[in-house]
Amino acid sequence: MNRMLNDDLQLLNGNHAVAWGVRLAGPDVAPVYPITPQTPILEKLIAFQAEGKFDCDLITPESEHSAMAAAVAASATGARVFTATSSQGLMLMHELLHYASGARMPIVMFNVNRTPAAPWGFWPDQTDSLSQRDTGWVQLYSEHPQESLDTVVQAFRIAEASELPVMVNHDAFYVSHAVEPVSVPEAKAVRDFLPRRERSLWLDTGLGRSIGAPAGQEAWHASRREMDAAMARVEGLTREAGRLWGEATGRAYDVLEAYRMEGAQQAFVTMGSMAGTAREAVDRLREAGIAAGMVRLRLFRPLPAAALRAALADIPVALVLDRNFSPGMGGIVHQELAAALYGHGGPRLHGFLAGVGGINVPVERLEALAREYRDAAPTHAPIWLE
Amino acid sequence: MLEIVILGRGGQGAQTAGNQLARALFDEGLFVQVFATYGGARRGTPVASSLRADARPIRLRSDITRADALLCFDESLMNEAFLKRGREGALVVVNSARDATAFEGGGRCIVPVDGRAIARRNDMGKVVNSALLGGFAAALGQPALESICAVIEQTAPAKVAQNLAACREAHALVAGQLEEMV
Repeated sequence: MNRMLNDDLQLLNGNHAVAWGVRLAGPDVAPVYPITPQTPILEKLIAFQAEGKFDCDLITPESEHSAMAAAVAASATGARVFTATSSQGLMLMHELLHYASGARMPIVMFNVNRTPAAPWGFWPDQTDSLSQRDTGWVQLYSEHPQESLDTVVQAFRIAEASELPVMVNHDAFYVSHAVEPVSVPEAKAVRDFLPRRERSLWLDTGLGRSIGAPAGQEAWHASRREMDAAMARVEGLTREAGRLWGEATGRAYDVLEAYRMEGAQQAFVTMGSMAGTAREAVDRLREAGIAAGMVRLRLFRPLPAAALRAALADIPVALVLDRNFSPGMGGIVHQELAAALYGHGGPRLHGFLAGVGGINVPVERLEALAREYRDAAPTHAPIWLE
Repeated sequence: MLEIVILGRGGQGAQTAGNQLARALFDEGLFVQVFATYGGARRGTPVASSLRADARPIRLRSDITRADALLCFDESLMNEAFLKRGREGALVVVNSARDATAFEGGGRCIVPVDGRAIARRNDMGKVVNSALLGGFAAALGQPALESICAVIEQTAPAKVAQNLAACREAHALVAGQLEEMV
């Protein structure tokens, strides 16, 4: 009996943990099209509905494009809306991702990060969601099933307060299909955390209004200025949601996490499930007398640039681990971090394409990397990890 | 940390066995992580289940490359690539009617369990996972037989008594073999 006994722990995989979070958040409408490895989210929501535990208009349209179209339309009526997808499905939605954010629909979507075809694959890789970074969606990345449950609930609060759509992401298999102990919060705690709030604009048959109608240049320009202002509020809203969630459940979150960064001489910077392995590598390196740390980016859009600069201010070397690939440039977190640091000094950056296509990145590889690049010459090109 | 890899063919129950084993270890007080990996999931293609169990929360999110124990549902999958996922001296339980000497284990400890025969004797047809779980738990020394049986009782979709009997028979057979070896 080694584990600290905690009766409220259930064994759930990452996708079922998400479904629990969605059930507790209580969306009115959920249009979802199944796709590996997202499907268990939809299956679990259908099971909840069959048990009479999930009172939601669950729609299964003929494609992800239609699912997002239905999500936008439902959200325009003022409904709380959830959808979920992965990879090819997310990319099929691309056109409507812009529409959802431009029309300021606070839709929450869960995306399971999976390699984009071709070649066809099912493996953990964040290129699918990162290639949607300019669509105006808030993006959050989760490390483990518990965080996925917690974050999907927080996402509704952030979306509805900013009137921007929010995409939460976790990695295929390592999180989506990892069965682990997960604490499911009380329904009342979630209801209190997530009060219904009136929208600034909604469609109603009794009102003569339209959303997304053709606009002149000035109105279109103004819409982006307003989105920009809303995005500027998201970092604070994410912090607030993470803090209040901590008060409600004992599990607080921030826009990024600094792990063992006290006195660190080098830091891994990463997102998603890679952070778990990097955390283990940091502990092993510290045990061996090497002052390593880790910065895990949780909020990717808007990029918390000032927080990143502060977290890395006194660190000589940062090793960026990207489980994604932008051909012709390299790792996307590496690019974004370099942009955030430009003109502010900061650490020497080394960008690694680590685990692209879902290949395994063992803890020993990360330990060796930290030793190898402690005193290395600066590198600018991305470095592929085999 | 205890690391286990289970390999089978889609439809054989390797993923279910991984989940049941994780549940039993969790019920005994350990933190667990178990995840399945598969390509286009369909009957007959290889499906792996990777399981970690530890006294502290598990943070690693990588493949298991030096498992303490392997469980193989189909001896046609007992190739070098699979065996290499077990560390030197790892326990390898394989569903086979053949003797341990029929396998080249490369320094690993091979324990065949005739899951098909046990399943057939217990009116389980070709469904071997309860038998293999019983044999595997006996060879590994954990989880306790009763922990496995409690999970089978909660999760078996049908033929609960037959599943339990197959699990117990395999457990007793392997435990007996190990006693003889000592």
